[in-house]
Order: sequence, then structure tokens, then C-alpha cells
Amino acid sequence: MSRVHALGRALWAEQLKLRGTLALWLSLIAPAVIVGLYVLQMAFQKPPKVMPDSEAAWMQLGQTCLALWSMLMLPLFITLEAALLGALEHGAQQWKHLLALPLPRGAHYLAKLVTLAALLLAAMLLLIVVLMPLGGWLLGQLGPLPLTGWPPVATWLDTGWRIYLCSFLIVALHTAIALHWRSFTVVVIVGMSATVMGTRIGQSADYGPWFPWTMPLQPLTEHPQIAIVLLTSLVGATVVSALALWAFARREVS
Amino acid sequence: MSALAIQTRSLSRVFPGGHGVRELDLEVPKACVYGFLGPNGAGKTTTIRLLLGLLRAQTGKIEVLGRPQRGMPLSGVGALVESPSLYPHLSGIDNLEVTRRLLGGVNRKRIAEVLARVDLARDGQRKVREYSLGMRQRLGLALALLARPRLLVLDEPGNGLDPAGIQDMRVLLRSLVQDDGLSVFVSSHLLSEVEQVADHIGVLHDGRLRYQGALAALRASLRSTLDIRCDAPERAATLLEQIGCRVNRGTPELLQVQTTTLPDDAINRHLVEHGIAVSQLHRPPVSLEQAFFELTGQPGRSA
Repeated sequence: MSRVHALGRALWAEQLKLRGTLALWLSLIAPAVIVGLYVLQMAFQKPPKVMPDSEAAWMQLGQTCLALWSMLMLPLFITLEAALLGALEHGAQQWKHLLALPLPRGAHYLAKLVTLAALLLAAMLLLIVVLMPLGGWLLGQLGPLPLTGWPPVATWLDTGWRIYLCSFLIVALHTAIALHWRSFTVVVIVGMSATVMGTRIGQSADYGPWFPWTMPLQPLTEHPQIAIVLLTSLVGATVVSALALWAFARREVS
Repeated sequence: MSALAIQTRSLSRVFPGGHGVRELDLEVPKACVYGFLGPNGAGKTTTIRLLLGLLRAQTGKIEVLGRPQRGMPLSGVGALVESPSLYPHLSGIDNLEVTRRLLGGVNRKRIAEVLARVDLARDGQRKVREYSLGMRQRLGLALALLARPRLLVLDEPGNGLDPAGIQDMRVLLRSLVQDDGLSVFVSSHLLSEVEQVADHIGVLHDGRLRYQGALAALRASLRSTLDIRCDAPERAATLLEQIGCRVNRGTPELLQVQTTTLPDDAINRHLVEHGIAVSQLHRPPVSLEQAFFELTGQPGRSA
């Protein structure tokens, strides 16, 4: 069995394991919370003295939702998803069954990594393509903002894919942590602490772009070195995953 | 082609604190049930994890189905290690489907076959979280059988099963050997669980193999002590020791002759010819349990 074929099989199995799980629902819940929060805020606050035009209102919606997503919800989403994906195997001591099957060990690890990245992609696509336009349409119907016409989905997607690529290092780090430690608490504490630290570190022009948990925020700040930040995320994710994969392949199940 | 399903040579893995297995030379014949017996903590699960590549040996060699085990899982082996590894939020069928997808090359029809084999055909659609402990154990066995293995490695498969379930498990294991030609390596801390189903046994204690061989050979080798009551026990003991018997003086009236190559009637004749009146000559039956406890140094408790 080739390694690519083995990875395909492991991903096919992951898809079934996710059926009916909170991990799957979270891909809908997390982006819905962001848009819901914005809609509630706009619906209940006083109308602005100078009403923006439709284009500016759409851009404001996009900027606010993507900022909230990148700074808070995305790192927390990755934290919780990684913990839930890991718990699927740690909970019922699945590793002793999975790792006794004639399948390269790396396939199990990479399947988790790809699944986490795929769940994040699904959540972000849902946020940008479905929920943000829906939220804007709702605000237009309720009346606080003049949100009419087509939302600038293409512009949002352009920012969104950069945010997505900048989050690869967090995805890799959390996959490694969640598959190494059995404890759900360890994974969650690391993610929560790093996210809270990110709210401070993210304000630093020197350190913000290079702290993994604030890297996804950089595409929104139009950082001059965004290409290097993006590359750092991808190279960092590759290095972290290679090391974690090496350790996973040598891991003993006692 | 090797006639052994499993062969280990000087296999050792010792953990900090001294637990583990030492210098194991296992020889598990093909197409039989091999009962791997030992008290809790003897090293049975460690051995099984070594065989499956879940642990790495410190020294020694392992061959499974004629192929060297180098810390990676081998095809042709189905396993159930301790409690079954199941996804409680999925149905029994979906749990099997997860493993089928991972294995590749297993027809989906096989799921129905293995469910029927472990008597779970009617419960396949139910979520595993609704299963009893025994049903989970049977589903774990179904997972092990899914890829039509040639060797089945089962760690305490009777855990959680009621007496009827244990009986069903025995019947299933026998049929897997007799009808399908599988080799079955089954560990247990309960002699009673395997003595009715195993052809061969290995007895592990403190990480070392204390006995290995055919169960029939062990039964045949068991000879109980010969209890003798007579009118002159002291003189009788001396006479018996002179002809090579080992004699225990249990009580003033009772002699226990432990090992002898002489048949019982020859011992009786020898005593009578020397003027000793023998009032009782009795050989109480020895159970396999007693032998097991003697091998493992455990107190004589019911298994």
C-alpha cells in the first residue's frame, strides 16, 4: 500500500469518525457566533450619525468579522478542534487498535493534521461565503445599516485565504500537542493561554507578526512583510509536523 | 515455511520498576489455540504489545507468521488488546466500517459476516454507547476478525462476558481453529477460561515463562502424591526412601509419597513384604488449577 493510498484510507476513516460529533458541528457554530455577535451589536446599537454607503458597510462587516475571527475565534477553534480530534482516539484507547493495523503510522498522524486543516477551511468558507453575506442581508432587512447589493465575497476570500495559510503553524502545533498528550486539559490550556497572550503580543509591531497565534491577524493589518509571515507559517508548520511525525512513528503504546 | 505462528527468542522488555518480560522463548504452533496464562501483572499484555509492534523489545527476536516483527504491525494478524477500542458515538457497523476503510481490500459484505459470527447481527445499527460490556467485547472480536486474519491475538477476551458469553467465546475460538484454520493466541489470568479451549499453554509468572507445551502433556505429567496409612509409618518411610521415593511425613499416621517411578501396587507390595500392614493407599486427584498455582507460585485459590 503506497503512503498516499494509506493517507487516503485514513482520511476516509476520519470522515466517518466525525459523524455526529461536536468537532463537526463546531465548524458551523464558531463562524455563526462571530456573525451572530456582529448582527446583534449592529441591531442594538444607536445608528451612526453619518450613515456609510452600502459598499463601506459591507467592507466594515467584513473587516470586523474577519478581525474577530482571526484574533480570537480562529485560535480557540483550532485549539478545541485539535483537542476533540485527539480525544476521539485517546478516549477509548484507540491507538492500540489503530497502530496494530497494517497501515503506516504516519498516515494516522497526517490524516488528523489534514482533517483539522479541512475543518478550519470549511469553517472559514462557511463564514465568508455563507454567514457573512447572510448576516449582512439580515442587517439590511432590519435596517440599522444600508447593506444592499452583492457582498464583496471575492475581496473577503482574498484576505481569507491569507488568514488560512497564516494559521497553518497553529494547526501543526495543536495537532502535535493533541496527539502527544492524552489530557484534553493540556491541549485546551495551551491554546487558551496562547490566545490570551496573543491579544497582547499581537499589538507589538516587532513580535506580533512572528507569534504563531497572532500570525493569522497579519493579513488584516496589511503587514509589509506579509509574504514572509505567510512563508514562516508554512515552513514552521512543515518543520513542526515533520518532528511530530518522527516522534509519533517511534511512539510506544503501553 | 515455519510451523509456528509465533516464535520469540530471548525476548525481553523491562520497564523502570522491574515490571515486564524477560528472556521469553515462545513457540506458538499454527492452527491451534494457545492459552497464555499468568496472574495479573505477570507480563501478558506487555508480551502481546511486543508481538503487535506496539512496544519495542530491548533484546530478543520476534517472528510472527514466519516474518520478523520489527516494531511495525504485520498483515494477517487480528488483535484485541485488553478492552476493545471502539467509538461510542458510532454504531457497531460504523465501527467496523472505520477499520475496514483503514485496512483496504476488505469487502463491505464482510462486516455483516463478522457481526453474525459474534452474534451481533441484530445490534449492528445500534450506537456502541448503548452496548453492554459483553457486546463491546464481541464487537472488539469482530474488529479483529474483519481482515480474515491467519493469527488472532486476544488479550483477556473473556473480560465482561457472562458465563454464557464465555462459553460462546470458547465455541467461537474452537470453530475459528477447526473450521477456518486460524491460529489463536489468547491470554488470560483465569485457567478455567482457557483450559477447555486451549491445545497448548504457556504459563507466565513475574515476566518469565514457567511452562510451555501441550495441555495434554501437562495433564499427563501431573501425578498427585500417594497417601499411605500403615501401622509403622516411620519404618515405612525409611523403607520407601531406600527405594528412591521422596516421602513427606504429613501427620504421624499419614505418609505422602511425592515422586516415584514405581507403580502404586509395587509400593504396596514392598511395604507388605517387609511386614508393614497397609490400611490405606490413596492418590487424590490433582487439578490443572493446582498445577497452575504451583507454576506461578500463587496460593491455592479457585481460578
